[in-house]
Amino acid sequence: MSEQTLAPAGALRVNPTWIVGVLVALAALYELPDLLQDYWLRTFNSVVALAICSLSASLLFAQLGMVSLAQYGLLGVGGWFALRISHGLGVPFEIALLAGGVAAAIVGLIVGLPALRMRGLYLAIITLMMAGAIQVLISAFGFPDGGAGILGKSDTTRQMMARPFVADSDSAYFRYSLVVLALCYALVQAHIRSRPGRAWAMIRRGEVCAIACGVDIVAYKVWAFTLAGFLAGIAGGLLAGGVGQLDGSAFPASQSIMVFALTIVGGAYSWFGPIAAGLLLRAFPALLNDFHVDGNIATMVFGAGLLHALITAPQGVAGQIAGAGASLRKLVGGGKAAA
Amino acid sequence: MPDFAPFFVSGLATAATYVLAAVGIVVLYRASGVVNFAQGAVGALAAFVSWAIVQHGGPDVVGWIAGILVAVALSLFYGRVLAPRLAYGDPVMRAVATLSFALILLGFIDYIWGEAPRKLRLPTDTSGFEWLGVRITYTRAVAFGIAATATVAIMTFLARSRLGLQMRALANNRDLSAMLGVRVLRADAYAWVISGVLAGVSGILLADLQRLSGIALTFAVIPAIAAAVIGRFASLPATVAGGLVIGVCEALLTPVPLIGPFRTAVPFLFAVIALLWMQRRATYVYR
Repeated sequence: MSEQTLAPAGALRVNPTWIVGVLVALAALYELPDLLQDYWLRTFNSVVALAICSLSASLLFAQLGMVSLAQYGLLGVGGWFALRISHGLGVPFEIALLAGGVAAAIVGLIVGLPALRMRGLYLAIITLMMAGAIQVLISAFGFPDGGAGILGKSDTTRQMMARPFVADSDSAYFRYSLVVLALCYALVQAHIRSRPGRAWAMIRRGEVCAIACGVDIVAYKVWAFTLAGFLAGIAGGLLAGGVGQLDGSAFPASQSIMVFALTIVGGAYSWFGPIAAGLLLRAFPALLNDFHVDGNIATMVFGAGLLHALITAPQGVAGQIAGAGASLRKLVGGGKAAA
Repeated sequence: MPDFAPFFVSGLATAATYVLAAVGIVVLYRASGVVNFAQGAVGALAAFVSWAIVQHGGPDVVGWIAGILVAVALSLFYGRVLAPRLAYGDPVMRAVATLSFALILLGFIDYIWGEAPRKLRLPTDTSGFEWLGVRITYTRAVAFGIAATATVAIMTFLARSRLGLQMRALANNRDLSAMLGVRVLRADAYAWVISGVLAGVSGILLADLQRLSGIALTFAVIPAIAAAVIGRFASLPATVAGGLVIGVCEALLTPVPLIGPFRTAVPFLFAVIALLWMQRRATYVYR
């Protein structure tokens, strides 16, 4: 645990580097989509969704030290419900997105219930089993694509999910996704900087101490799992909107493991970690593809990266970037990863 | 009412490979405290190596032995070179590290051989005998025989031999055993060798019984882990029973309409129920 101190409560302190960071981010938000080619734009849409998914895994790992290997499965759950509601009711994208988030939050809650009594290894194993069970369900049911019935599977034409009316083109959708990503970060930060964050800090220092201090550890652990499920569900809806439809065979348990692995490689304790994980998960294989390198090389690199991260660099890529010096630290906007 | 006998028989053989892998996982966990998620990947590499040797005209026996030796070498390499660097991390991180080893092996297998549909053929596939009105190939009988022999041999080894005693001592308390003169690393290394042999054998058998695919064989570790969970990573008889029940249930559900497509969820179901049952009382960790 890097952050042994409690997060400061109350008003945000305005830091000059923050303002610079926000301005750079806004400029990038405006310029970046126009600079990218179609293929890369679609890739970056997936990167943003995967970054949110990785954020949910890092929330559980960094705040409570819990290893959840089910977050990509929960992304699938969120995507399923978002697609179903979007096709079935024709509601605006935002409502479908939120519905996917809520559905995944409920499933996350169910995954989290055993977590109350389990810790460490058994928790990791039970979440892996849940990821496997979700995989079986998804590959048996498939994703809704505008058909009739509860499952919403059509045999003939596969409809695309309706995008938000303000963001129909790929580049507008990318800007939209970035805003959703920022909102997700804000949601997590709001938790970390207020009562739940302090309770989580207490729990990770010692459950018995937390109980002695009157922290309801059951409620706060369940809340963390629900929040992580919600984020994963949002990621699923966002991915479904970006691609238009989801493929039932694309949710193996190995992907869930990969999400967790790259969250560690990216750096679970830093705000930049999940973005690094998203880039590694989607942009790195696409880059290899551009250079006609076999995608399995990426799997090997990820495995080696995780091993390296576990043995030598528990702060991950983000930690190494943060440790590279003050000048670099300014560039990434005053990253919080304490080296 | 579909005829369950053929599914029962084929389920027993698949279950035998789960049992082999699960026994390897439990023995290793007891001696070294590592839950080895790479058991399946190591077995997969063993199967691919023996397939490649037979494919290039090598004799079958050489292929199998080479496959098992590769599995042992990999397992020992991980156990002696990589695992000690994490020995003082918590058990979750040690388990996650084996996941990363599994990813490396999986990437390597798919890079070299790809995911083409293929099967490893054993010479015992072609002949067989009749039992319960079902023809059983010798491969299935051999798989079952090896699982039974290996389990009994390992149980006897742990209970009777000096090294087995040392492994059990390590399982109880690592620091105390080291103080009493148990050569920790040596006992550890033997545990990794045993788990490597079991992974290799089960990988080769499973590649014959089902299919030779990197992903499928790597993730065959999940039923094995589920069986080990049923045995609480400690009891070999419970692990064997768990492996058998999971394998047989999975096969028996195949012909059942409606539930058939969901039969691969059987290991998850058993593991989740076992975990919930084991942890039915809340406990708090004092740190």
